[in-house]
Amino acid sequence: MSHNAVVIGGNRIPFAKSNGPYADASNHDMLTAALDGLVARYGLSGARMGEVAAGAVLKHPSDFNLTREAVLSSALAANTPACDLQQACGTGLETTVYIANKIALGQIDSGISGGVDSTSDAPITVSDPLRRILLKASAARSAADRMKAFAQVRPRHLAPKAPSVTEPRTGLSMGEHQALTTEAWGITREEQDTIAEASHHKLAQAWEDGFFDDLVTPYLGVARDAILRPDTSVEKLAKLKPVFGGPQGTMTAGNSTALSDGAATVLLASEEWAKEHNQPILARIVDAEVAAVDHPGGADLLLGPVAAAGRMLARQGLTLDDFALVEIHEAFASTVATTLKAWNDEDYCRGLGLDGALGTIDPSILNVTGSSLAAGHPFAATGARIVPTLAKLLQERGPGSRGLISMCAAGGQGVVAILEAV
Amino acid sequence: MPADTIVLESMPSMGGAAARSLVPSRDKRARVPSSTFEVRDLVQETARLADYARVCGFTLRDTVPATWLHVLAFPLHIQALGSQDSTIRLMGAVHVANRMTMLRPVSVSERLTIGVRADNVRPHRRGALVDLVADIRSGDETVWDGVSTYLASGMTAPGDAPDGSHEPFEAVTPHARWRVPARTAKDYRRVSGDPNPIHTNRLAAKAFGFPRPIVHGMWTHARALAALEGSLGSSYSVGVDFVKPVLLPGTIGFSSSHEDGVTTADVTTKDGTKPHLRMRVEAVS
Repeated sequence: MSHNAVVIGGNRIPFAKSNGPYADASNHDMLTAALDGLVARYGLSGARMGEVAAGAVLKHPSDFNLTREAVLSSALAANTPACDLQQACGTGLETTVYIANKIALGQIDSGISGGVDSTSDAPITVSDPLRRILLKASAARSAADRMKAFAQVRPRHLAPKAPSVTEPRTGLSMGEHQALTTEAWGITREEQDTIAEASHHKLAQAWEDGFFDDLVTPYLGVARDAILRPDTSVEKLAKLKPVFGGPQGTMTAGNSTALSDGAATVLLASEEWAKEHNQPILARIVDAEVAAVDHPGGADLLLGPVAAAGRMLARQGLTLDDFALVEIHEAFASTVATTLKAWNDEDYCRGLGLDGALGTIDPSILNVTGSSLAAGHPFAATGARIVPTLAKLLQERGPGSRGLISMCAAGGQGVVAILEAV
Repeated sequence: MPADTIVLESMPSMGGAAARSLVPSRDKRARVPSSTFEVRDLVQETARLADYARVCGFTLRDTVPATWLHVLAFPLHIQALGSQDSTIRLMGAVHVANRMTMLRPVSVSERLTIGVRADNVRPHRRGALVDLVADIRSGDETVWDGVSTYLASGMTAPGDAPDGSHEPFEAVTPHARWRVPARTAKDYRRVSGDPNPIHTNRLAAKAFGFPRPIVHGMWTHARALAALEGSLGSSYSVGVDFVKPVLLPGTIGFSSSHEDGVTTADVTTKDGTKPHLRMRVEAVS
C-alpha cells in the first residue's frame, strides 16, 4: 500500500509585480500556462494524470472549479480529475502534500500540484447588505415581494468591495502583525535588509547560472522573475521608508514581499510510475505537517510553522543538523529572522509543547537560490515554486540529502515538509 | 413569584418609555420602584439574532451569546426606570459596569421568561448608582442573570460615596485593531432597539458633553466578547467596566490574555495607552 511519492520536476511562469506584465491575465490563464509548460517539459500531452490539485487565495466566485477548468484548457487529457484546495500562502505546499499522500497510499500513481494568484485581477464583490438584498429578491415569489426587497437598497450598499488583506479577527494586515512580531523579537532593520539583499543576489545568480531554465517557462513576454533587482544592496534598501510598524518601524517595501502575479506547478508520482515512464526523480516527499497559533489571542501570526517543524522533526528522529538545505518562505525578511530565532529559543519552543529548542542552521544552507522577497509571492503559487526548486537542489547534492521547507500562512497557520534526494 | 411582580403582556416598545425618560426628574433624590417587571414566553427571532451577530462580530450559532440576552432584557430596564416611582432617567444615566452569567447554553429556539428590577441605589461621587438586576428563565430553570450598573449624574442617595477610582491601567500592545464606522451605532440601534440619540445624533451627543456620537457601550462589550468566542465555555460569567466612551467614527485596539481559567481583555485606544472597556471572563463550573 505504501509508495514513495517523488518529485519529478516542476514548472512555473516567471513571477511579476501586481498590475505589471500579467495585469490582463486571470488566474485561469496563468495556471493553464504553468500546466502547459509542465506538460511540454515532461511529455504529458494527452496523458491522464491521477489528479491535479491547485488553488488560489484571491478567487472569483465563478472560479469555483478553477483547477479543473485549467486542466480542460491545458494539453492534459480531459479525463484528468482536479480539485481546488486553499491553505492561504501555504496552498502550493498543501496541494503538494495532498497529492503526495494520495500517491503514498496508492490511490493514484501520478499527479500535479500547484497554485496561482493574481493581485491584478482580484475579485471585487458587492457589499454584504446588497448581497443579502439581492438574494432575498431572487428568492421572492412575487413581483411585490421582489420590489420590497429592492426597496431596501441604499446608495452606500452600491460601493464595491475589494478583497481585504487583513486578518478578519484582528483587523490587522499581515504586515502589521509581523511588525508586532518584529518588535517583540528585537529584529533590526539591518538584519532584515541583509536578508532582502541576499535574496535578490542569490536569485539573480541562480538565473545567471541557468538554474531555472528547466523550472520556468516564459509567459507573455516575461522570461525572468520581474520583481528581481540584481543590483540592490543594503545601502539602497536602507533608504526606504518603513511601511509597517509606524514611523519607527523597520519593515519596508524592500524587506517585505511585493503583491505579485504568477502560477507554479509540481509534477509528482510514485517512484514506480516515474521509472516506468522514464521520468527523472529529484527527491521524495518524506513528511509534512500543518500547525496553527492563537493569533487572536496575541500569538505571533507568522510563527505557525515553528511548532509544525518541531513535531515533524521529532517524529522523524531528525534535527536541523540533518538537513543539507533549508527553505524558509520570505513573507517578510523579518519572518525569516524571527523563525530562525524562534527555532533557537528554548522557552518559546517549550511553550509550544516541544521538547526544547530546534537549534540553529548554517546561514549558507538557507534559501540558496533566493526566495519570495526577490522572486515575488503570488500567494498560492509560492509553495509550488519552492518544492521543485528544493528538489532539484537536493538532487544536485546527491542521494540522501535532506531539505526542510517552512511556510507561514494567514490565519496563524504554517505548513512544513521534508524532502530527500533519491 | 414575589408579590410585587408586574407581568407585561409583551415586551414593551422602547420609543414611548424612552421619550418619557428623556424628561429630567425634578426630584434629585434617587428612587426606584420595588417591582419586578416580567415578560413570559418571549420568542427569540432568528433573523434579528443573525443581524445582531453580524453587527457585533459573533458567529450565528444555535446557542446565543450572553450579550444578546442582555439586549432581550433591555426594554425592561427602560420600563423599570420609566415608571412613576422612579426618579432616575435611563437616557441620561451612564452605563458604567455590567456583569452577567451564562448558567448554561441557551438555544435561539427556547422561549424565555425575563424579569428585571431596579435595586441597590447607592451614592457615587458624581451622583447615584443603581443596579438593574435581570434574570432569564427557560421553564423553571434560571439560565442567565445579569446586573447592569448605571450612574445617574447629579442624583443623590443616602450614605457616603466610596472612592470610585478605577484600577490603574498599564498600557498594552493591541494585537487587534477594529475600525468603528459611524454606521455601527445605527446598526446597533437596529439590532438592540436602544433609541438613545447620544449614539446617532451629533447634537444629542453634544448636549451630553461629547464632541461626536459615541458607540453603545454594549456594542463594544459584545465586540470584545465576540473576539473571544472560540474560548468561551458552555457557561461563563463576564464582567466589564465601561471606562471611556468610544467616539464615532473611531479606531480601537484590543488585547487579551488568559491565565488560570480567567481571560482578561481590554478595548483600548488604538495605541493601547488608554482603556475604553475592561473585561474579565471566567468559566462557571
